[in-house]
Amino acid sequence: MAKFPVRSLATAAVVALATTVGMLAPQAMAQQQIRVGGIYIMSGTAAAYGQFAKQGLELAAEEINKSGGILGRQVTIAMEDSQGKVDVAIQAARKLVFQGRADVLIGLDSSGVANGLVPTVPELRKPLIITHAATPDVTGKLCNAYTFRISVNVNQNMMAAAKVAQETGKKRWTTIGPDYAFGHQSWEYFQEYLKRLEPDVELMNQVAFPRFGAEDFTPFINSIMQAKPEGILISLWGGDLVNFIRQARNLGFFDQGYEILFTVGAATEVLAAMGEEMPEGVWVGTRYWFGSHDNEINRNFVKAYMERYKNPPSYNAEGAYAALYLYKQAVEKAGTTDGEAVAKALAGMTLEAPNGRITIRAGDHQALVGPTWGRVAQYSPEYGIRMLDPVRNFSGEEVTPSVEETGCKL
Amino acid sequence: MESFLAALLNGLEIGLLLFVIAVGLNIIFGVLGVINFAHGGLYMLGAYLTYTLVSRGGLPFWPALLLAPLAVAILAIVLERLVLRHVYGRHVTDSLLLTFALLLIIDDAVRMIWGSGIQVVTPPPGLRGATSALGFSYPVYSFFVMGVAIAVMAALWLFFTRTRAGRVIRAAAIDRDMAQTIGINVPLVITGVFALGAWMAALAGVVAAPMRAINPGMGDRIIIDSFIVVVIGGLGSFPGTLAGALVLGMIYAFGGRFLPELNLVLPYIGMALVLLLRPQGLMGRRTG
Repeated sequence: MAKFPVRSLATAAVVALATTVGMLAPQAMAQQQIRVGGIYIMSGTAAAYGQFAKQGLELAAEEINKSGGILGRQVTIAMEDSQGKVDVAIQAARKLVFQGRADVLIGLDSSGVANGLVPTVPELRKPLIITHAATPDVTGKLCNAYTFRISVNVNQNMMAAAKVAQETGKKRWTTIGPDYAFGHQSWEYFQEYLKRLEPDVELMNQVAFPRFGAEDFTPFINSIMQAKPEGILISLWGGDLVNFIRQARNLGFFDQGYEILFTVGAATEVLAAMGEEMPEGVWVGTRYWFGSHDNEINRNFVKAYMERYKNPPSYNAEGAYAALYLYKQAVEKAGTTDGEAVAKALAGMTLEAPNGRITIRAGDHQALVGPTWGRVAQYSPEYGIRMLDPVRNFSGEEVTPSVEETGCKL
Repeated sequence: MESFLAALLNGLEIGLLLFVIAVGLNIIFGVLGVINFAHGGLYMLGAYLTYTLVSRGGLPFWPALLLAPLAVAILAIVLERLVLRHVYGRHVTDSLLLTFALLLIIDDAVRMIWGSGIQVVTPPPGLRGATSALGFSYPVYSFFVMGVAIAVMAALWLFFTRTRAGRVIRAAAIDRDMAQTIGINVPLVITGVFALGAWMAALAGVVAAPMRAINPGMGDRIIIDSFIVVVIGGLGSFPGTLAGALVLGMIYAFGGRFLPELNLVLPYIGMALVLLLRPQGLMGRRTG
């Protein structure tokens, strides 16, 4: 019942068709252009993430092409839908590299997809820059010479969350998260780091992991409220998070005096959907917050993005945007688009990005970058979302575990 | 005790809403012989139209409750006449493929029209917030959802048992050829049944809109739950659909609260048990 053969049949048909169309693409200009392959979730519940990434990539490509391209060559973007599934993403990566002759892969929203795809990247011999998927493993025990991540990972975000939690002074903590690796790992690392900072906290056994895509969170909200925690770490995201917040509001969840930390709550698509209904005073984290980086690159990025897409850039847009600039810098350093040479150039590279100066650590290829956390405050009619106040940018140095701790051996 | 009662109410609410969706799926299968994958898409359209009418158009919720399901029912008539009609009497996989394609098309159309972001609809005034009338806090809107579902159930039951049209549909479901022979306009009945099923799916979408996040893909999830309901309850059984929906609702409500670590597998365990012990479903008739 869970898996209908028709679904795979239809998928196969669609893939077959798409492949044929892809092969008909004009090949004449291939040598001149630099081809960027984007792999994101473009359909289904989480399609908004792929949409944001696509916009970030397109904006960066347009800017780069206007100012002369990379090594004098124009940049083109080809997007593939991962559907949030490992097999589809692996197929997409191969298609982009072998048929589309992509020079670099940028992408990945889901941790599950990242864990499955990353081990296959070395055989493609093209660098993969991850801009969203947060699983520690791809720059930990699964790390390899061709895989890089420019975005904040679970460890970094949970180290910051633990610091925020410590400062609230609350002692009894529990969690509500999606029932897959992301939700469980978030809680695992949060516990470890908070215990390290504050040995006398109580980490409750009563936790809630509703299935990803659960429509009704009421039973979980009730059971957590009954357990009377003081602080709650919530790692739900996307549509689940919107569902959760609306149902929790109805049940008075936000009036109990809890300190609430939404680990990816400052995602603009969630804030835009909630509008003024977003509860004030909760802590929300994000890989990037458009309003909290006072530098010229960010100002230009936000302005150009707002003009073009009429909404503020989400973290996925920023990650994709910065990744293309990172790639540009690495190609210029290597003087070639050869995958191996570019991968070598990427290791240890420092980039001035909208969220500040970030360095791709040579030891595990994880960017030294920190998340932004803030309290939800007043509504901004200009952006159509509630803003954050106070806001705190964590530096990569203060939240990133050592290479030894990650388990990566390069 | 309170937490038991809260879970019970929650199970009723989830189950009753699922019933409204799954019963349409079941009736369509009974009369058309088509397993309608696109049913989830019609539910999603109901929710999106509500968003357009209420959040964008500034209309109150109540007219949307009438208009959105009506619009979806009209679309269903067009789909049935132009597309679905061609696969009747063919192998069931043909209709599965066709309606699955329809679901994909509806998904993409929704993304093109409304974008891939998340949308919300605010509950109508008077149905916002929670009540503590039962000694624990429970959303007012949830009682409204249960009320609508019970009203639909009662109306359907009266329709099928007390009206001529209802009996005609049942006759057509039992033996299409015989019905045709005794002068029933079967093609018209089929169109009507498909429109009725679509109307109910969309109605559930409208009712769900103020309490759930509206985004592309919401139809894919609900169709899986609806299939589980139909398998548990039995294909072609009206009371079975209710039983299946309530069983699944209770699995979600009690499982989520008391066995949270099993919440992913419980619905499938329930379904597998039914398939093993009563393959025709709790109230389905054994065929063949």
